[in-house]
Amino acid sequence: MTSPAAGPAPTVDDEALARCADEPIAVPGAVQPHGVLLAVREPDLAVVVASGNAADLFGGPVAGRGLDELLDPADAGRLRAGLAGDLAELNPLRVRVRAAGGEVDLVVHRADGLLVTEWEPVRGAEEAGIAWHRRLPTVLQRLAASATLDELSAVLARDVRALTGFDRVMVYRFDPEWNGEVIAEDRRADLEPFLGLWFPAGDIPAQARALYETNWMRLIPDAGYRPVPLEPATVGRRPLDLSGAMLRSVSPVHLEYLANMGVRASMSISLVDRGKLWGLIACHHYAGPHRPSYTDRTAAEFLGRTASLLLPTKVVAGDQGGVVEVAQRQAELAAVVGRTPRGLAAALTDGEVTALGLVPAAGVAVRLGGQLHLAGTTPPAERVGPLVRDLLAAGVRATDAVSRVLPAAADLAATASGVLVAEVAGGRGDYLAWFRPETLREITWGGNPYTSKTAQTDAGPRLSPRRSFDAWSETVRERSQPWLDHEVAAARSLAALLTETAANRATEDNRLATALQRTLLLEQLPEVPGVDLAARYLPSADDVVGGDWYDLVPLPGGRVSVVLGDVAGHGLAAAAITAQLRHALRAHLLRAAGPAAALDGLNEVIGALLPGELATAVVAELDPATGEVVIANAGHLPVLHATAGATEYLHEGRGPALGLLDAAGYREIRLTLAGDDRLLLVSDGLVERGRGGLSAGLDDLRAAVAGGPVTPQALADAVLAALDPPRTDDVTLLALART
Amino acid sequence: MHFDVERTTVAGRPALTVRGELDLATSPQLAEAAEALLSAGPAGIVVDLTPTVFLDSSGARTLIAVARKAAAAGAELHVVAPRSNRPVRLPIDLLELGAVVPIVNSAGEVPSPAVNRDAT
Repeated sequence: MTSPAAGPAPTVDDEALARCADEPIAVPGAVQPHGVLLAVREPDLAVVVASGNAADLFGGPVAGRGLDELLDPADAGRLRAGLAGDLAELNPLRVRVRAAGGEVDLVVHRADGLLVTEWEPVRGAEEAGIAWHRRLPTVLQRLAASATLDELSAVLARDVRALTGFDRVMVYRFDPEWNGEVIAEDRRADLEPFLGLWFPAGDIPAQARALYETNWMRLIPDAGYRPVPLEPATVGRRPLDLSGAMLRSVSPVHLEYLANMGVRASMSISLVDRGKLWGLIACHHYAGPHRPSYTDRTAAEFLGRTASLLLPTKVVAGDQGGVVEVAQRQAELAAVVGRTPRGLAAALTDGEVTALGLVPAAGVAVRLGGQLHLAGTTPPAERVGPLVRDLLAAGVRATDAVSRVLPAAADLAATASGVLVAEVAGGRGDYLAWFRPETLREITWGGNPYTSKTAQTDAGPRLSPRRSFDAWSETVRERSQPWLDHEVAAARSLAALLTETAANRATEDNRLATALQRTLLLEQLPEVPGVDLAARYLPSADDVVGGDWYDLVPLPGGRVSVVLGDVAGHGLAAAAITAQLRHALRAHLLRAAGPAAALDGLNEVIGALLPGELATAVVAELDPATGEVVIANAGHLPVLHATAGATEYLHEGRGPALGLLDAAGYREIRLTLAGDDRLLLVSDGLVERGRGGLSAGLDDLRAAVAGGPVTPQALADAVLAALDPPRTDDVTLLALART
Repeated sequence: MHFDVERTTVAGRPALTVRGELDLATSPQLAEAAEALLSAGPAGIVVDLTPTVFLDSSGARTLIAVARKAAAAGAELHVVAPRSNRPVRLPIDLLELGAVVPIVNSAGEVPSPAVNRDAT
């Protein structure tokens, strides 16, 4: 039962409940008085057990007599013929019983090795009449055409009432704890509505529910009846099994319950979904006793069975609300995962399509590569990890009541009453977690479910149905909307995709990183006497390989060439071109007479071997002994020259980017590095994406260098800290000074 | 940031007006639009970078490619990149793109198409 954390403690007497659970409802040893029960032996059909009212119907004692004797020969013949076949086809057999002076519906089944015959006089029964039965096809069509569970239930309530004439017909649906909710109702206009009321699980005890799964129809035409005992009380040593008998006398507790509700006659029909009791069609009559004919009851049961067959599709349709939307989000997220090589966790929480949109939830936590990203409304970051870990330790991956699993997490109810966790495998403790807030659910019970259940009787406390039938509402706390199966499945499949992707990327990243290190960057800058050089390289956050490269090439005679270049484009293709250019430039630097000639050579290489590619490069050739520097620049950002008095970009000695012209004809600028003078070579990733764009970036760089430390190492760090470039492109920085 | 390439007319010539950031992610759109425009066999086309807010080396490379395709198609290309649009003009100047891509300072500097005398 949905026991609320903040509700009153149940006061039901355990002993009384246990007694009720023990009550032998299948073998009450008595029947209701609106018919007669005879259990007969086959094949002679001699009466073995008879209800105490048999003599009234048959005009004398029946013990030891045979049915051939009690029936007209023609009826007896039809009965015997029917017994050879399916009994369901025989029922009801309308027979004439002379003493009763009228027609009787005879219904038979077998139990305990006997043929149980039940005799229900037609007189006194209500007949809906032929008109209704003609409408049956229309009713069936309406049931089948109903698109939703609500529609199906409404049709069912209306037509069962039209058929049986009860004052009120309700369709109940059981929740997982067997509380019943009235989901449809058709009633006499003057009656108080019960629609939306909840009835506590205790109203229908477990053994009654078990009986309802096999016996689909119960009728109590007069709740004020006096039970008629069976004689003899036992067959062999046991009372006759009446679980299949329509006349079975019901529990006195149930009668008391009906009386408390003012119900004079009641009927219920089981609704069974895939073999499991799903709900009931409950019919109440208040005006007085009420007994629909056997035929009409059978027709009502038929509607119940038809609705039961239709239930699976309607229930699934209701539970799978949003299944299409979820599937679409799933596809969109898969696309995001596919096109996001880096920073997946950020993409899944900050992008246009986020993991939060996958299923209806208020917040999501994405932990990938050990990094936790949150979106929407979630518990505080420091609580998310422990919460998920504790849930997984408890073996819970989806719950709509976290505080039931983890009482210590009750204070998170506002953000995380419901949690859905999907683990991302890979041994890094990664996961996805969705959070749903507390949904204060108002439940209106048909009477207070927690009190007035036991009454003192001479035999000790016994269950007594609720005295008061006033609606009694409570608020269910620390519960969220439940997670539907397809939502759980979508969460798991996204996690599985991320697991797979992470594994693939890890392999790819290793390979690329190795290639990058080997071809583009120097594992260690060579020591060049008289030169102090600091290099910084930051790969882009989006792409493991950018187009930047730098190099330090010692030349014959003690000079050294410092190179910084940038190939347009990203990714493996750019990396491959970058590697080729780096090696080609090295060769030209070693062979050529100065930086400009080397760049000319490199430009020819691109024109001949890599048409369509575009690159920039700057070469600064330093003679550490004299401080003389020769610089040539192919379309690259200007070199920054910082002296004690000024910090200026070198706009001389420039030429077009590599690959633009067949013959570029690069020029050179010469200067001398004195004392604390420094040169800075940077790639555009450092300056082009800041606020104000490239020109502001160049101004900022100049200011940072002018006010920065003197030594190249400290200066490089200071510049990176000051410019704090967004990692959308790779960033390279070389700072150079004489020692 | 929003990016689009709009088919417009500048100085009576078919033109592509580029809005937003022209970079690695967006420049394929310009390349595609230019190719479509050139396939009609115009005498000249214009790429208007006046409303472009960013240009990186990938964008520059695309401009070069467009220039080469235009030359191959016998179409005269003009790229409008006003000096006042520093974020776009500065990289163009640094790369010296003007060596292969005819850069003009404003739409007014794009000559009107030559009148086809046979048609008058």
